[in-house]
Amino acid sequence: MSAAPAVPAASRVGRGLLGLWLVLPVVPLLLWAFADRWSFPALLPQEWGVRGLTEAAASGAGAALLRSTLLGAVVAVLATPLGAMAGRALASRQVPGSTAVLAVLMSPLVLPPFAVALGLDVLLLRLRVPAVLGVVVLLVVAALPYTTITMRAAYAAHDRGFEEEARLLGASRWRTVRSVQLPLLAPALAGAAFLAFLVGWSDYVVTLLIGGGRLTTLPLVLASAASATGNDSQVAVLSLTSVLPPVALLAVVTLLGRRGRR
Amino acid sequence: MTGGSLQLTGLTRVHHAGQPPALDDFSLDVPAGSCVAVLGPSGSGKSTVLRLTAGLDEPTAGTVRVDGVDLAGVVPERRGMAMVFQRPLLFPHLTVRDNVAFADRVRGVPRKVARQRAEDFLELVQLGGYGGRPVRALSGGQEQRVALARALAAEPRVLLLDEAFSALDAALREEMHQLLADLRMRLDPTILLVTHDHAEADALADTVAVLDAGRLRQQGQMRSLYARPASLVVSRLLGGRTEVRGVVRDGRHESPLGALDLPEQVPDGPAVLVVRHEAVRVTGSADPAADVVGTVVRARRRGLRALVTVEVVGAGGEATVEAELEPGSDAPTGRPVGLRLPVEARWVVPVEGAAGEPARPPAGASGMRRDRSG
Repeated sequence: MSAAPAVPAASRVGRGLLGLWLVLPVVPLLLWAFADRWSFPALLPQEWGVRGLTEAAASGAGAALLRSTLLGAVVAVLATPLGAMAGRALASRQVPGSTAVLAVLMSPLVLPPFAVALGLDVLLLRLRVPAVLGVVVLLVVAALPYTTITMRAAYAAHDRGFEEEARLLGASRWRTVRSVQLPLLAPALAGAAFLAFLVGWSDYVVTLLIGGGRLTTLPLVLASAASATGNDSQVAVLSLTSVLPPVALLAVVTLLGRRGRR
Repeated sequence: MTGGSLQLTGLTRVHHAGQPPALDDFSLDVPAGSCVAVLGPSGSGKSTVLRLTAGLDEPTAGTVRVDGVDLAGVVPERRGMAMVFQRPLLFPHLTVRDNVAFADRVRGVPRKVARQRAEDFLELVQLGGYGGRPVRALSGGQEQRVALARALAAEPRVLLLDEAFSALDAALREEMHQLLADLRMRLDPTILLVTHDHAEADALADTVAVLDAGRLRQQGQMRSLYARPASLVVSRLLGGRTEVRGVVRDGRHESPLGALDLPEQVPDGPAVLVVRHEAVRVTGSADPAADVVGTVVRARRRGLRALVTVEVVGAGGEATVEAELEPGSDAPTGRPVGLRLPVEARWVVPVEGAAGEPARPPAGASGMRRDRSG
């Protein structure tokens, strides 16, 4: 008798703990962001203010935010369709040696990015590939495992009968992609694009080594601020700036996915 | 809307080089406005017939013609076909109405007109007022009705049904058969359907083509197929249960059942006698009009009518005959009975090539016999 109500109660407690686990690290960040003075052992900042914000703005955080967003978006736009095509081909089981192909596509996950970036840096310099282009290409490759895996699973669960039915009802190949395949795969595509965006958005190593400092993204600004001392509120503001947009994006993607499922 | 005529000629499809063809030199005529069924067990190549007709797969050889026009190289969307699959395949991101309006929409019909027409077709499948619902809110039978409405709304010259009703329970299937008969009266479409169920083929189709292992085995009206199957394969597919091996000599089939007259002249030689269990009459063992006398070894209830297996011991061995009893009558295991096999219900088919095939009856039945004699 008592077991039945205990289950939702336990589930509620679990969800609460999970929420706490995710939100708790943000709390000191929020406090630091608006603390002009907060020295040990005070529990709360002694002086509140917006010095962190102004310092962050002065360090070029606004332009870096824009560049990071753009980089994430470009990586997502390139890696998602590529991943979708690879995923579709791999799910169709018509690729000879598909296990080997998959292994190659997955390799960026197991190779240390530092080593890869350092090695490729030389190659890209020799080939006279522009730094920004080099960053984009490498990040697209780094994002491909995520988009491919996501889309392969989606295509494996996708019934091609829907497309055959649409064709027989008079839809051209392209119209079938647009009116049937894309809507049915939209949640998976959004998920894949989100992961690819994160790869571009949060990258540090590739942007630093290949970009050679010419592409100043948010992680670079954040890292340089964090490596200095005495500007904790600026670092807090920069950290929040890099955390909040992906969270907002995730919320949007989740909402869209839920609406699509209904 | 009136359907076009469909001619399949010499259709052959080899899925993978080196393998036996899934469909081998298949020809079929579907006159305009008729309904033709392709009947076959699973893996017989019957779905391949539809996929080749619809252009979803390319034939290795052979042609598909609609109203005399060869459709080779014509993409599926330009063939004027619509197909209802066993899975309803309703687009989950569209409402019921927009699913039915899909064909019109991709043809460029304005949304408002397309939706109005969709409502008309939903009315036709008795789902008026369901247009605004999401497809997830439908039951299995309703889903298949919507799929049918969606296919009809495309105004196909040929409507293809791929086991469209097989996933439904018996009562719903019956309803769909009624609905399809109704739609045929109103719209006069040309229908090519495939099924594994001879009762469904009988209920829906004007003529039937029996397919097995990729080859056309027999073609004609269901009545004549039931009475005159061309082979054991066809007889079994049509639910035939009695097979008695013997030899034809001077127009009579000689077997443990005795020498039985045949309705038509057939050449001498080994042959298997087949008799529909519906045609056999079970009488008393002393009935002077009985063609054979045997013992009931198995009785199965099927509603009011029971199906009995009667074992007959005669010259040169034993044989079993299946018979359907009169409604309400009963024949317990072990009872001696007489069987009347009307001459017009007897038919012989060639002995199957597979010589090692075990002859009926199965091992269980002979065990029972030994018990009784001991």
